Amino acid sequence: MAKSSSQLKDEILKRRSQPKEPAAPVTDESDLARLRKSQPRFRGLEAGHRACQGCGEALAARLVTEAAGPDVILTNATGCLEVFTTPWPQSAWRLPWIHSLFENSAAIASGVEAALKAQGRATKVIAMGGDGGTFDIGFQALSGMLERQHNVLYVCYDNEAYMNTGIQRSGSTPHAAMTTTSPPGKERMGKRHLKKDLLSIIAAHHIPYAASASVAYPADIRRKVRRAVSITGPTFLLIHSPCPLGWGFDSERTIELARLAVQTGLFPLVELERGEITGVMPIRKPRPVADYLKIQNRFRHLFVEDPRALKEREHLQALADHNIDQYGLAGEGADPLDADGADTVRRGGLVD
Amino acid sequence: MKLLTRGAFALPGTSLDFKTGTWRNQMPVHKHWGAPCHYVCPAGEDAQAYIGKLQEGHPQAAWEVLVAVNPMPATTGRVCPHPCEQACNRGKMDEPIAIHLIERYLGDEAIKNNWAYPVEGKAKGEPIAVVGAGPAGISAAYHLRRRGYRVTMFDALPEAGGLLRSAIPITRLPREVLDAELARILALGIEFKPRQALGRDLRLDDLLADYQFVFLGVGAGKSRHWSVDGAVPSEMHEGLGLLKEWIAVGKVPIPKSVVIHGGGNTAVDLARVMKRAGTAEVHVITASGLPGPDADPKDVLNVVPREFEQAVEEGVVFHPYRTIQRLLMRGSKMVGIEMVRLKKIKAASGRTQRVAFEGTETVLHVDMVVPAIGEVIDPTGFESLVGGADYFKADPWGRIETHDRVLVGGDARGDRGTVTAAIGDGRIAAGVIDSALAKAEMPAVKRRDFIPYETLNPNYFEPAARAKEPTLPIGRRTDTEEIEGGLTTAQIGQEAARCFSCGNCMACDNCWTLCPDNAVVKTRDRATDGSHYVFDYEFCKGCGLCAKECPCGYIGMTDDA
Ligand SMILES: Cc1cc2nc3c(=O)[nH]c(=O)nc-3n(C[C@H](O)[C@H](O)[C@H](O)COP(=O)(O)OP(=O)(O)OC[C@H]3O[C@@H](n4cnc5c(N)ncnc54)[C@H](O)[C@@H]3O)c2cc1C
Ligand SMILES: Cc1ncc(C[n+]2csc(CCOP(=O)(O)OP(=O)(O)O)c2C)c(N)n1
Ligand code: SF4
Ligand code: SF4
Ligand code: SF4
Ligand SMILES: [Mg+2]
Repeated sequence: MAKSSSQLKDEILKRRSQPKEPAAPVTDESDLARLRKSQPRFRGLEAGHRACQGCGEALAARLVTEAAGPDVILTNATGCLEVFTTPWPQSAWRLPWIHSLFENSAAIASGVEAALKAQGRATKVIAMGGDGGTFDIGFQALSGMLERQHNVLYVCYDNEAYMNTGIQRSGSTPHAAMTTTSPPGKERMGKRHLKKDLLSIIAAHHIPYAASASVAYPADIRRKVRRAVSITGPTFLLIHSPCPLGWGFDSERTIELARLAVQTGLFPLVELERGEITGVMPIRKPRPVADYLKIQNRFRHLFVEDPRALKEREHLQALADHNIDQYGLAGEGADPLDADGADTVRRGGLVD
Repeated sequence: MKLLTRGAFALPGTSLDFKTGTWRNQMPVHKHWGAPCHYVCPAGEDAQAYIGKLQEGHPQAAWEVLVAVNPMPATTGRVCPHPCEQACNRGKMDEPIAIHLIERYLGDEAIKNNWAYPVEGKAKGEPIAVVGAGPAGISAAYHLRRRGYRVTMFDALPEAGGLLRSAIPITRLPREVLDAELARILALGIEFKPRQALGRDLRLDDLLADYQFVFLGVGAGKSRHWSVDGAVPSEMHEGLGLLKEWIAVGKVPIPKSVVIHGGGNTAVDLARVMKRAGTAEVHVITASGLPGPDADPKDVLNVVPREFEQAVEEGVVFHPYRTIQRLLMRGSKMVGIEMVRLKKIKAASGRTQRVAFEGTETVLHVDMVVPAIGEVIDPTGFESLVGGADYFKADPWGRIETHDRVLVGGDARGDRGTVTAAIGDGRIAAGVIDSALAKAEMPAVKRRDFIPYETLNPNYFEPAARAKEPTLPIGRRTDTEEIEGGLTTAQIGQEAARCFSCGNCMACDNCWTLCPDNAVVKTRDRATDGSHYVFDYEFCKGCGLCAKECPCGYIGMTDDA
């Protein structure tokens, strides 16, 4: 039964007044409900959320909150993440979380941060939004937040379109991709314009730290999140988060696609400090962009007998090559932290 | 405190009330596939399993996994042609794991540190006789002893070891290693009675009266008849005899030039021995092809590939796809042979045949020809068991149709031919005997399906060069010193780390890290095997991502029940 807001409010207050019970070790391995509570990692985003199968954004948010730890307050722009995590009266978050509007995640975060500051509290604020909420409609709020030097980490989950309202193109949608508002046809081969170079705009704000990351490299995400939250001041993270539904691929391929985006050069993983590039994930052996494009429906129209299709494929290849040149992504031999080495596993898991 | 009155609240983590598992139509399941190395090992070793223990940093536990199947790893690590390495999935990415060097290392460490074989209690079960103390007999005796039986092992010769002792050159298998390994096995409480030949000193009926079962691992000791169109040289030496003599008394004939006819270990070992002893020209004529990337594995010289390479290095000349067509004699003196090209091809009947090609004859001037074309059993005194055949006829478990308490394994079967095959036969026969006497389950002769490379996710592994064993340079090779060395502990660690853990969980945490739905939970904080990951099907949506990203192929998707 759905509870009313005031009932829930009472429950929260009651809970807060009760002493915490100490966690008893779980001995029954079939008691998954209790095991879940004793996992050796912080759970910021819990199961039961309503994301699609294989959702890259859900995974990215899980990884970000895990790495940031419990002393965090989240703000969230409207979008898939907001909707699938908080079907009222439930919430998948295990952190204080607030949603107001599509365009104002950064503004809310600025306010929360200012209030915490006034109280003398060091709790970290993380603002979150999709690419629509960040590249487009929430951009002025974000720019203001950066300019005012709020102590906030802004995380953009980049699934390259307005997914929650049915796959409309955004400033982040890559060139030539099909969306419901950039359909391929007689006039165009998918989106006419280019993916907005948001990182360069962020760089112009001269903030202490900004980076791009990808769900294909969880250890890299963890490192970047920890770095960002350890800095007092505005920081920014752009995480490439494939969307099986919106891009049109099998849900099992989320990581494969994310990895290919990096290995082709289409989604460069870089770090910026005060606007200057201070680190990149090198690409050991660049893969042709076709390997990435041909397994997604949103680029299906580029694989037909049509001279325009060939031209757009070549255009995307040239954009990838340009990224590789521009950011100096070409690796010099094998590097354990390059796009081939950074996901290497070993028996017993990561000890970090 | 003033509370906000607008907006909605939700308690943390309450989404757990909603079971997203109902969305699923496919479900992930753990599936332990066989690894290719395991699938092809004639002894039945699971290299994945013991390399896994090494990766965990437990060499002794690794050795225990290994000797639960093969009691002689120091020996087989040196002499086995290691089909496991040909099959190894890692070979599809860069180079196969040096499994034989890991096996050898574990065997040597066990001897050095006197690790105790995982054999418990005293032998007190029914008495079993093992005839022949070659690898087949030793393996049968060991596995019977492990299962608690009282074993008596007989051999015609004064010492145990079979061909390992009598024929395999010391340069490949130092006798200290063989002696140490055998002594440790016999010391487990296996009664060994040397100089007792079945058919001469022992009668089958007597054995069957005194013992519940008899295992025959008598090998194939009699040279196969050889002639070229009925002709043989006046002074005939056959290959295995020469090798055995060399090992026993250190002498071989030293002609100016020799041709050895055969395509197995005897031919290649003898060729190297004769070359080193001073024979200027040593030729090997074989109907098979030579090992190499293009070779058809079904028609290739039947030796360890690096053995062939070393023979070439040492100056032995190979003539593949050839046979001897004529002996060239001047009076009774041998002056050469005529050889001809041939190839195994499918005839109209559908059977493969070796066909010689007219017009490809060539002459080799040699003083001596040595046949090394294989051996058959010597059934003197127990002819009733074989009925005039060259080898025993047995089912895959080693059972003989006519005698229900007699089993056979190893070279005596005719279709084996390696030390590890003999060891595998001994283990299976012990299981058959145990199943008859103690109602234990019949041993499996068919292995789990093995996982193809395509089912792994190689993105998670880094290229890394295979460790290379130290090898004596040609000029320093002698008759007594082992040519190949082993790896250091550090090298073994690196080599083990290259293993993909094909088909078995390596506890890499990938599924736990990558599930967008938090539907993979751990039952323990850390572990190095996969025993501690559980799918929470209440929440798993069946996206298949964990299966796709499992490096080892340990997760499969099946239709949801
Ligand atoms: C020169 C040479 C090199 C080889 N190199 C390799 C190699 O590198 N790798 C490899 O895997 N394989 C190699 N082989 C093959 C391998 O040695 C055999 O496949 C293996 O030894 C077979 O084991 P077994 O126990 O069946 O028989 P054997 O090793 O032949 O042992 C049979 C034992 O039974 C005894 N025996 C025989 N008859 C009787 C009887 N009537 N009563 C009592 N005892 C009896 C014999 O004395 C002997 O001890 C080589 C063989 C030769 C000849
Ligand atoms: C001012 C305003 N305009 C439009 C909407 C409708 N709307 C809700 S979510 C959304 C798209 C979100 O896209 P994005 O930010 O990329 O997040 P995603 O859903 O892709 O994760 C839109 C257009 C809104 N909520 N508010
Ligand atoms: S990689 Fe390891 S498990 Fe796989 S076949 Fe090779 S040795 Fe066996
Ligand atoms: S990744 Fe998670 S949700 Fe997807 S199939 Fe595996 S356990 Fe289920
Ligand atoms: S992903 Fe890693 S931890 Fe999970 S089942 Fe596969 S090997 Fe084991
Ligand atoms: Mg979006």
